[in-house]
Amino acid sequence: MFLALKEIKHERLRYSLIVLIILLISYLIFLLSALAIGLASQNTQAINSWQAKTVVLNENANLSLTQSVLTKKDLQDWHQNADTAYIGQVPTVAKKAGRPSVSAQFFGIRSQQFIYQKQVLLAGKRARGPHQVTVDVTFKQKGYRLGDWLKLSGAKGKYQITGFVRDAKYNIAPIIYGTLPVWRKMRLLGPNVVASAVISKRVMAYHHGNAKRYPIAKLVAKLPGYHAQNLTFGLMIGFLFVISLMIIAVFLYILTIQKLQNFAVMRAQGIPSRVLVSATIVQAVILMVVGVALALVLMQITLALLPAAVPIAFPPMIGLVTTVGMLLMGVLGSFIPVRSILKVDPAAAIS
Amino acid sequence: MTMIELKHVSKIYGSGQARVVAIQDINFKIAPGEVALLMGPSGAGKSTLLTIAGSLQKPSSGEVLIAGQAVSKLSTRELSQLRLSELGFVLQAYNLVPFLTVAEQFQLVDRIKPSGNLSREELEKLLKRLDIKQLLNKYPNQLSGGQRQRVSIARALYPNPSVILADEPTASLDSERAVAVGQLFQQLAQEYHKAILLVTHDQRLETYADHIYQMLDGKIQVPAN
Ligand SMILES: Nc1ncnc2c1ncn2[C@@H]1O[C@H](COP(=O)(O)OP(=O)(O)O)[C@@H](O)[C@H]1O
Ligand SMILES: [Mg+2]
Repeated sequence: MFLALKEIKHERLRYSLIVLIILLISYLIFLLSALAIGLASQNTQAINSWQAKTVVLNENANLSLTQSVLTKKDLQDWHQNADTAYIGQVPTVAKKAGRPSVSAQFFGIRSQQFIYQKQVLLAGKRARGPHQVTVDVTFKQKGYRLGDWLKLSGAKGKYQITGFVRDAKYNIAPIIYGTLPVWRKMRLLGPNVVASAVISKRVMAYHHGNAKRYPIAKLVAKLPGYHAQNLTFGLMIGFLFVISLMIIAVFLYILTIQKLQNFAVMRAQGIPSRVLVSATIVQAVILMVVGVALALVLMQITLALLPAAVPIAFPPMIGLVTTVGMLLMGVLGSFIPVRSILKVDPAAAIS
Repeated sequence: MTMIELKHVSKIYGSGQARVVAIQDINFKIAPGEVALLMGPSGAGKSTLLTIAGSLQKPSSGEVLIAGQAVSKLSTRELSQLRLSELGFVLQAYNLVPFLTVAEQFQLVDRIKPSGNLSREELEKLLKRLDIKQLLNKYPNQLSGGQRQRVSIARALYPNPSVILADEPTASLDSERAVAVGQLFQQLAQEYHKAILLVTHDQRLETYADHIYQMLDGKIQVPAN
């Protein structure tokens, strides 16, 4: 610690620059991870907020809500309980004069069931009756107000916004929560159709007629674009990690190589290699901790300043994982020059 | 008793065209309580002899004994230990750590070898004697050549080693200070029974030496006195 700190103190500029590099790299990793998670969560936000574990779909729908319809016959064995809810999904476009059009997902739900009851309202109240809807808070950010009357493509009449709700996005689009009869009309379906799917918070079995149950993860994996996005981001972040490991390792290596003459002097004085090696590693840890901590601060500032519309999420868990990852890399990187330190020839101090 | 003994030591640098025989079949001893002066023209092999005697380099052939122990039989760790506690090097201003202040050079020794070093008062006295007390907060690159040399001497003496090996310790000192350093070494030998080897061109130091050796072309000539 003594040697590590004294050297940083004496070579402030050099070490500040290295901290800056570490800061920028960590910031980049944090930002990319947060964007990836932000985007991914916009796909699954609603599903997560329902705490759904299982979904019953038409087995011929290829795991697509939009393709799935469940009839009374399909659901005749179904036992409804407090942890299950019907949904009728259809993509739509919401319009109102003087406001931007919004591509949305219409979800017909039942007021007796948990999805309706568990809505987290940020403003207003729950919808009552077929011509009222609650909408994702995205609408608010786009300028819509409580009491606005929406036109929905594919539906007759107008629908009044009675509340803004949180965490209501499906496949990146904001959700409009309405009723199942409205959904049925929008899809031009007869009265024998009950819903697109049934959501359950429990793991359970069901197979009757064309209805089949699936783990919710299967539905999520099949969301259009979801898999490709995650793969792309995953690869980007993975490569970024590996590349930053190399960059940081190279920096620490160069730093150490430049100090070999000092090490030779200390070896000639009889300072044990162990002391020099631990000073080098402690120094790397200090640099990484400071760099990553500053990046975290910068990240918090970014999160505070970014407009709400940017899909970004930085859960503490991800912050922790990336932070620990960066620190590990720094320590790994600082081990690379250890061999050079151990090989330092004290005689080099005199030449 | 002999502190350091070289037996038939040779050192050859390089090979083929670049082969240089730096020292050849050297037999040499330094004993406690004595100041030995090693003089001779540049390239004679003085520094090579000094660093081999101080275990900084391995001889190509022959044997070095420090306090009766064969250096070749010691591990890297034991050698470090030996250099830290028994050998004091004054290596032409190269034995200071660049990123530590003068005071911190001593603190570093304290951290690695907490006991057996000079006491606070002894260090104080030494610093005064070398006239470097006012330099404690300076970094090596803020010192003049002469100041650096005197700090190097203090640093070498601080762990209270039984052997002192100095390469041109007075090269950049004025006469008054060179004399002070000569007297210091003489006193260390006489009162504290240190074994001292000084490589030097400096004839001002001859007065303080018990033995003077002349070196030429890698060999020690017959002692002058
Ligand atoms: N590291 C080295 N590599 C090759 N040759 C060296 C090395 N060190 C010293 N020499 C050669 O060995 C000879 C003795 O050098 P040195 O011991 O430094 O003499 P002195 O200190 O008396 O000037 C010189 O010819 C010098 O060029
Ligand atoms: Mg020399």
